[in-house]
Amino acid sequence: MINTEGMVAETATKIYTDLCDREVPHKAEAGEYPQALWDALAENGLPLAWVSEANGGFGADHDEVFGAIWASAQAASPVPFAETLIANWMLDRAGLAPADGSASFALSGHTPSADIPFGMHADKIVLFDEAHHEISLFDNRVAVRSPEEALSPDGMTQFVFSGHVAEQSAKTDLSRRAFEALILTVRAVQMAAAMESALNLSIDYVTQREQFGRPLSKFQAIQQQLAVAASECAAATMAAKQAASAIARHSDDPEQAWHEAVIAKVQIGHSVEAVTVPFHQVHGAMGYTQEYDLHHYTRRLWAWRDALGNEFHWSKRLGEALAVTSPDQIWKGVTTGQWIAS
Amino acid sequence: MQRFNFPVVQPDPALEELRGELQAFLKEEREAGNFRPEPECWMASADPEFSKKMGKRGWIGLTWSSQYGGHDKSALERYIVTEETLRSGAPVGAHWIADRQHAPMLLAHGTEEQKLDILPRIAAGECYFAIGLSEPGAGSDLANVKTKAEKVAEGWKINGQKIWSSGAHISHYMVALLRTSPADGRNRHIGLSQIMIDLSLPGVTIKPIVDLSGDAHFNEVYFEDVIVPDDCLLGEEGGGWKQVTGELAMERSGPERFLSSYITLETALYQLSGKMGSDSHARLGKLIASLRTLKGMSWGIANLLSQGVSPETEAALVKDLGNRLENDLTQQVRAMLNDLPTEDWSPDMRRIMNIGVLRSPPNTLRGGTTEVMRGITARQLGLR
Repeated sequence: MINTEGMVAETATKIYTDLCDREVPHKAEAGEYPQALWDALAENGLPLAWVSEANGGFGADHDEVFGAIWASAQAASPVPFAETLIANWMLDRAGLAPADGSASFALSGHTPSADIPFGMHADKIVLFDEAHHEISLFDNRVAVRSPEEALSPDGMTQFVFSGHVAEQSAKTDLSRRAFEALILTVRAVQMAAAMESALNLSIDYVTQREQFGRPLSKFQAIQQQLAVAASECAAATMAAKQAASAIARHSDDPEQAWHEAVIAKVQIGHSVEAVTVPFHQVHGAMGYTQEYDLHHYTRRLWAWRDALGNEFHWSKRLGEALAVTSPDQIWKGVTTGQWIAS
Repeated sequence: MQRFNFPVVQPDPALEELRGELQAFLKEEREAGNFRPEPECWMASADPEFSKKMGKRGWIGLTWSSQYGGHDKSALERYIVTEETLRSGAPVGAHWIADRQHAPMLLAHGTEEQKLDILPRIAAGECYFAIGLSEPGAGSDLANVKTKAEKVAEGWKINGQKIWSSGAHISHYMVALLRTSPADGRNRHIGLSQIMIDLSLPGVTIKPIVDLSGDAHFNEVYFEDVIVPDDCLLGEEGGGWKQVTGELAMERSGPERFLSSYITLETALYQLSGKMGSDSHARLGKLIASLRTLKGMSWGIANLLSQGVSPETEAALVKDLGNRLENDLTQQVRAMLNDLPTEDWSPDMRRIMNIGVLRSPPNTLRGGTTEVMRGITARQLGLR
């Protein structure tokens, strides 16, 4: 579930409301990093929300943390909040202490490098090395970072792990699927939240903007486009909630939530085009400008759609996983959300 | 914070037990050759014998009290029955509409005599109802109905015509939206009432309309000086519009809005077992992701309805998304079947695929067109 009423979610919402008004993402892109926003999140311990109490965190319920992530995405958070939550969770699941400062993450199979979101801002990088079942913590400040061309305003860097000594490493008994499940679910929650914010911007815009002597919202063609986009947003939110709910149910073994997480990635990834096209269309040229807010959401949606593999990659992986199971098991999954035969 | 109201509801083990019973029964019936599975089975596939078997097992009339032949079960149990019968493409068309909407309508507005007489027959799978909303001059523009009911000494005298009434040719009753007082130019919704008509009465003529697949499940129904007693007026005189819109909200979010063509996919999965290429894997993955998401939305609404909340916009969203998915499913399965030479398709696969294609146009029409659904959503968004 996505609980926006718990203490963690409410604290995050308040911080984002107070310290991340609509100017903040614009300034961040112009190079003015919102340190005060990050400091407030850190002072309240929010990046440790998923770290167990024994490890210095406060082991918050998954659904509340998803509520905090929802709030951050709606505010177009220009700081690596969700990334640090994920990185600290990864460290915790290997028994390592949480990162000192902000962090981002990478999953590595056999490749020695990875694309890192927020790579220019995160203090630390956490890597899951699938071949060695190992979680490692790297210092991002001393590493040589090379910025990559990125779709997202959050940026992306290339981090070459080989040749760097990890600050800490430990074995984990979690599988790659477990990490995929949590990361895809976090992205799904962010994407659903960003879609809803962009929908709200679009509704406000067409209600205010007049053309041909009346507000755009009074044209049936506009109404129908936004109604279709709204239905895609509603489906995205449901897919994200179902994935979040599966993670919360299987917090000890997130691999059990893999199918629901992939479903959310596939469903929402395919919806991105179906929502960003009408949102930009109804905004006219205004939505294409840097000074307006819409691109804070649409650029992130385009980037998150590709992160960790795009919707085509994951549709195929899901299909492959289902093709080897029985039609009875597929039906059971569709109707009940139980994808793994028990 | 989250614009629409779709709660996530986990499956209930007790309901899953019921699901198992349904699956066993449907498998047995199918293997015995008692039915051939079809897409759109709830609209176009009617078999009174099958309905009676469902009635005997207690799977019709789940939600109303045993006093009226029902089974005192919840709307969620009914949902499971609906889902499983759709999955297997079973011939449930005879009793579907009576069970889904006219029984609840009679419970709310019927007389005690009507409830005692009709509801047990519906639950037994022996009494069927047809919907009487559309008219030749009023499709989506429902407020434009012209068929008249006039107050007379013996009750109501009905004259006019209804159209697209699925199953009217085998139904015992129709509940029709009728004009009981002249239209007010400014508010066309005034003066409409719902009246239950015994279709065996003199003056009723039913003419089947053959659809493009060759089926004749829907009909034109003519009324010429048909007299029904006073107590056939359901609800308030003049309150028909409000009653109908409430009823439509309930029928728009059920599993029949996104699972009508599932049988096509399942049949193909058996055909393609071990033979699927990577393009088909991608199509399968996308379809299943959409089906699972729609199930979550529809199940969320079902749970709200069972608590007495009726979310009209959410229901419209499910219908719009679901209808598009049903049609897309048929197209995606067509593409997936490229992995198999057509001469290797089983006769069932060919038949089901053909029916799926031929019965796809009404998906986005019945129960309110896609454009009307989007109008409802636009209103909720504050654009109208």
